[in-house]
Amino acid sequence: MFNKKIHKRIKITLLVIIFCFILIIGKVFYIQVIDYDKLNNLANNLWSRNLIIGANRGRIITSDNVTVASNLTTVSLVVIPNQIKNKDDVVKDLANILNVDEKVISEHVNKRSSVEIIHPEGRQLSFDVADKINELNYEGVYLLKEGKRYYPYNTLLSHSIGYVGIDNQGLSGLELTYDKYLTGVSGAIKYFSDAKGNKLEKSSIYEEPTNGMDLYLTINYDIQAAVERELNNVMDKYNANGAWAIVMNPNNGEILALSSKPDFDPSNYKNYSTEVINRNHAVWATYEPGSTFKIITLAASIEENTVDLINDTFHDSGSVNVDGARIKCWKSGGHGSQTYLQVVQNSCNPGFVSLGNKLGKEKLFKYINLFGFGEKTGIDLNGEGNGILFNLDKVGPVELATTAFGQGISVTAIQQITAVSAAINGGTLYKPYIVKRIVEPNTGEIIEETKPHIVRKVISNETSRTVRSTLETVVAYGTGRNAYIEGYRVGGKTGTAQKVQNGIYLTGNYIVSFIGFLPADNPQAVVYVAIDNPKGITQYGGTVSAPIAKNIMIDVIASLNIKKSEYTLDKEEFWYDIKYTEVPNVIGLTIKEAKSQLKKLTINYSGTGNIIKSISPEPGTIVKENSTIKILLSN
Amino acid sequence: MKKIDKLILISVVLISLFGLLMIYSSSSVWAEYKFNDPYKFLKTQGIFVIIGYFIIYIISKINYQIYFKYSNIILLGCIILLILVLIPGIGSVRNGSRSWFGIGSFGIQPSEFAKIGIIIFTAKYLTNNKMKDIKHSVFPILSVVFLIFGLIMLQPDFGTGIIIVVTIIVLLFVSGVKMNFFIKLGILGLIGIVALIIIAPYRLKRIVSFVNPWADPLGSGFQIIQSLYAIGPSGLLGAGLGNSVQKHFYLPEPQTDFIFSIISEELGFMGVLIVTTLFITIIYRGIKISIYQKDNFAKYLSFGLIFSLAFQTILNLMVVVGLIPVTGVTLPFLSYGGSSLLVSMINIGIILNISKQ
Repeated sequence: MFNKKIHKRIKITLLVIIFCFILIIGKVFYIQVIDYDKLNNLANNLWSRNLIIGANRGRIITSDNVTVASNLTTVSLVVIPNQIKNKDDVVKDLANILNVDEKVISEHVNKRSSVEIIHPEGRQLSFDVADKINELNYEGVYLLKEGKRYYPYNTLLSHSIGYVGIDNQGLSGLELTYDKYLTGVSGAIKYFSDAKGNKLEKSSIYEEPTNGMDLYLTINYDIQAAVERELNNVMDKYNANGAWAIVMNPNNGEILALSSKPDFDPSNYKNYSTEVINRNHAVWATYEPGSTFKIITLAASIEENTVDLINDTFHDSGSVNVDGARIKCWKSGGHGSQTYLQVVQNSCNPGFVSLGNKLGKEKLFKYINLFGFGEKTGIDLNGEGNGILFNLDKVGPVELATTAFGQGISVTAIQQITAVSAAINGGTLYKPYIVKRIVEPNTGEIIEETKPHIVRKVISNETSRTVRSTLETVVAYGTGRNAYIEGYRVGGKTGTAQKVQNGIYLTGNYIVSFIGFLPADNPQAVVYVAIDNPKGITQYGGTVSAPIAKNIMIDVIASLNIKKSEYTLDKEEFWYDIKYTEVPNVIGLTIKEAKSQLKKLTINYSGTGNIIKSISPEPGTIVKENSTIKILLSN
Repeated sequence: MKKIDKLILISVVLISLFGLLMIYSSSSVWAEYKFNDPYKFLKTQGIFVIIGYFIIYIISKINYQIYFKYSNIILLGCIILLILVLIPGIGSVRNGSRSWFGIGSFGIQPSEFAKIGIIIFTAKYLTNNKMKDIKHSVFPILSVVFLIFGLIMLQPDFGTGIIIVVTIIVLLFVSGVKMNFFIKLGILGLIGIVALIIIAPYRLKRIVSFVNPWADPLGSGFQIIQSLYAIGPSGLLGAGLGNSVQKHFYLPEPQTDFIFSIISEELGFMGVLIVTTLFITIIYRGIKISIYQKDNFAKYLSFGLIFSLAFQTILNLMVVVGLIPVTGVTLPFLSYGGSSLLVSMINIGIILNISKQ
């Protein structure tokens, strides 16, 4: 009876003991199965030492497949202090080969770390230095492959590309903005080590590095090279403070070229001031646009139908009185009586004051905002400026007057070219961009692709056509004649803006600019050029910037393979008394029906029949009176 | 007269030989680094194993009744040794505890021997007293136990102390003390633990560290993390004998308390199953022997001895797999350490002698 109770309790104890063992085995099972991944990873991280093999950074490539940022293969010196047997010899020899103080090497070799990079003395070594180290064949001394960024064209596109630091990390420009794509994943030789850093006899694992993604730009190398060449010339020739230029495809917002001087060589960025490196004037600088801004006033006036360019006239006496302030025209004595078309060709300030007044401040500023001024365009380059506009509540007659011809406001180059692109491309404002796609280099798989982004429709197709045609006459007959290219239809507008410092206009210190596009009937490229304070020349956009824009456009023609136009305006030296007319839209009418509309023109008929099938140049084009136009007839 | 329990004997021989193998495997790297002799720990432990076999042989020949007769003297001897070891100059400090009589690299821990002494004493006490009256029967023996526990905690050696206390309480449980008492004891214990935590909050950190050792990976969680790194990646068959990575200075002194993690790392889940099967065989047979005994002293003695062995094993394994906080208890027959092995062998010798009756 008594023993029975004892035995019962002994058996209970036995059961508890067996339960404990089951618990222990269960926990082992849990650790080995459920926690396996976690523990295996952690343990492997603990046991393995990595000798890092750098991945190649993604390349930066232009749209015409020119690599503007690539990589050179170099090696870097790494030591594993615990594996080095004869430390003194290693220190002496390495210091000798690298030509550095023994102390420096000694510090690395005697450090209590598992893997020690000799930084920076042993980084990115040339092959002959690496060979010498290799020949020593020391245990614990390793040479690892490392890519070094290489910019084959030095300063070309430097502001946009940016630069990288010694660890190949992007520090500015596209190198920084797209760093996470450009940076690859480092590989490694993993070897197993005991807790004291000695190599274990477990086989090493090689993990291949994954190279970074390639960046394909919208940039056209030939056009970019032309822009760089022209800007370098102008910097030398006129000793300018700065010069910048943008070439854009107006039909989608792609940047074909973009440059800002002074620039820098990204391989040696340390030799340049941060001011030079950080100031990409083409997107960063804000300044008074001057007359190039008149394109906006012009487009708004046509869209709002507040002026008839050909028939309305304006008398310029040389100045205009606005609310007590005298606003002078750039031509002393004025342009006299002229049509508004001539106002544009002459870039007549009082004429634009009158256009501004006809629109009124609400409408003018509505279009300024619609064209994207006062806010960032959103281009994928860093450091973009906002620009400054008058607050609408504070716009009085004087502010309205000056804004109409491009003074008293502050804009960026990228805003101007984006807005003018919209004014001439049929009225659509695009967001400008420079990165076309991101591509995985091995598979060629497109990771990301930028599609043209329409911000908004600003003006109608018809308005845009009239703007184009008007600006074409500016180049053929007006202030933009220095940009005229024989056989091509070029439109454009000059700009000369006084620089403002501390709220005061500087005398004899201008930013002279030109914005041009071609072909005028179907624009493929818009070119904007601005020169800051050129010296030793009359500071007019027409004299300084227009010829540069012309040179760039000649390269654009070659690069984009733009065909000569059948019809062009002839360049005229004296344009003051030219009378103009618009090519009427008479397509579909009979000769008889069209006759009255065609009487100011000379007609060259071809084909047979009675119905007008097509006209060259196209309807809406502004031409001189009695110009010859071609009409194709059919039945 | 019956024959001795061969199954226990074979299991003990197997497990101690396996222990020698694993001590060599886990300690050779460390031994070579420290003593320039990879066989250092193997040699020492090998001598102890041989001594241990002699001890089993001799003890199994000694009639257990002799312990009944001399139980008081044995206990007194243990108490004297426990006091002596605390005196600087006589007792030496290893791993922060003054619990050794050092003779060169051979160390003797009196607390290990006190384990057997108190079990013998309690077995006799339970045989001679009816455990009906708690005040007059349970409290006296408990005060003796806590005296010994107190002496051991002065070293301190918490692991051995807790084994002694729990073994005696379980002996009391088996002897038929009312359940009520154990419930009260449990509540008291709980209050005690809470009080200890309030007095010294660092203990809580230690307790928490076994739930999430990564909370303090370089401090209290260090050993258990290193143990998990050994067990976790090993899989069904392990890395193979001799292929542990953790023994390469990651797990400190891998041949002692945490030898089970190295066994698991090298031999995998199968190694774990083999080791636990051997232990369960010994424990099961031991308890069966206890049940077969007609003599109450033999019953209590054999049960107490086999339970203390079982409890020590469970305590060690639970620490190693992260079920309880680190207590510092060796794994019988497998961990490196002379006293621990010899006491386990004496333990088995007595049980084998009892098995013959």
